Amino acid sequence: MHIFKIFIDYTKEEKWLNEMSKKGYEVINNSFGYTFKNINPEDITYRIDYRTFKTKQDFIDYCTVFEDSGWKHILGSKSSGNQYFKKVSENSDDDIFSDNISKAARYKRASNIWLTFASSYFVILISLALTGAINLNAFINPKELYFTPGLWEATGLTFWKKFLFETPFALGRGFIWIIFPISIAIYLYCILKASKLYKKTIKDK
Amino acid sequence: MKRDKNLPLTETTFYILLALLERAHGYLIMQKVEELSDGHVRLAAGTLYGAIENLIKLKFIMPVPSDDKRRKVYLITDKGREILRFDLERIKHMAKVTEKALK
Repeated sequence: MHIFKIFIDYTKEEKWLNEMSKKGYEVINNSFGYTFKNINPEDITYRIDYRTFKTKQDFIDYCTVFEDSGWKHILGSKSSGNQYFKKVSENSDDDIFSDNISKAARYKRASNIWLTFASSYFVILISLALTGAINLNAFINPKELYFTPGLWEATGLTFWKKFLFETPFALGRGFIWIIFPISIAIYLYCILKASKLYKKTIKDK
Repeated sequence: MKRDKNLPLTETTFYILLALLERAHGYLIMQKVEELSDGHVRLAAGTLYGAIENLIKLKFIMPVPSDDKRRKVYLITDKGREILRFDLERIKHMAKVTEKALK
């Protein structure tokens, strides 16, 4: 089963995955949405951390600390950021964090990475603007994005054929840069949300 | 004398440094800290990992070579010993004046 869902709140995500396991679905992939396999309903405790690693060795060491203390690493890679753990030992504690500050710090680490992405996109956007690649006139006069000779003089079926053929190219030419401001806005939204969650986690009982 | 800005050490940091007077890997640190603190300080994996990272940054502990391919092993540095001793003096002083005051 595949479900598309996006979480910023780790606690909500952990709870949701736990509820899915009680319904008989165990998460096996989360590269684009979540993929589940059928299992016998079980009350699985999941916990999520956010970390990226410089070397494979660092990543293995990190996973081993968790596995030694009863948490199996189930999803995540060296540079994926989100790291998913499943409680496998009855004796281990119910959380992978023993204080609020370290529990909140995962939001800060995620935020920092998002901020890096947002700033690089911002630099690209500025460069596009400075090199004249962004043509705001295209909003007012989209016709100038079409290069086919004689397109606007053609009529009937010939016109529509030529017009529809070039439209994807025209859109790419004129508006592809919009991806950058949109991504920046999404990242900024995530950063804002993460900062709220950071403060909330610090204050939690 | 101006006091080191890392003082006082948190209880967690204090016990981790104490545990690392002998070389140990992550999980062993967790066990040692629990034992040294009479079971009062129980570190979870994520919290310990962050603490280790921070102590390496402060140069209070360092990774040392080991045969274990999956587990990094750490040991306290001279700077770490020094800060531990400073904090011990602080705790001793507190104990001394408090005992006197409560007599």
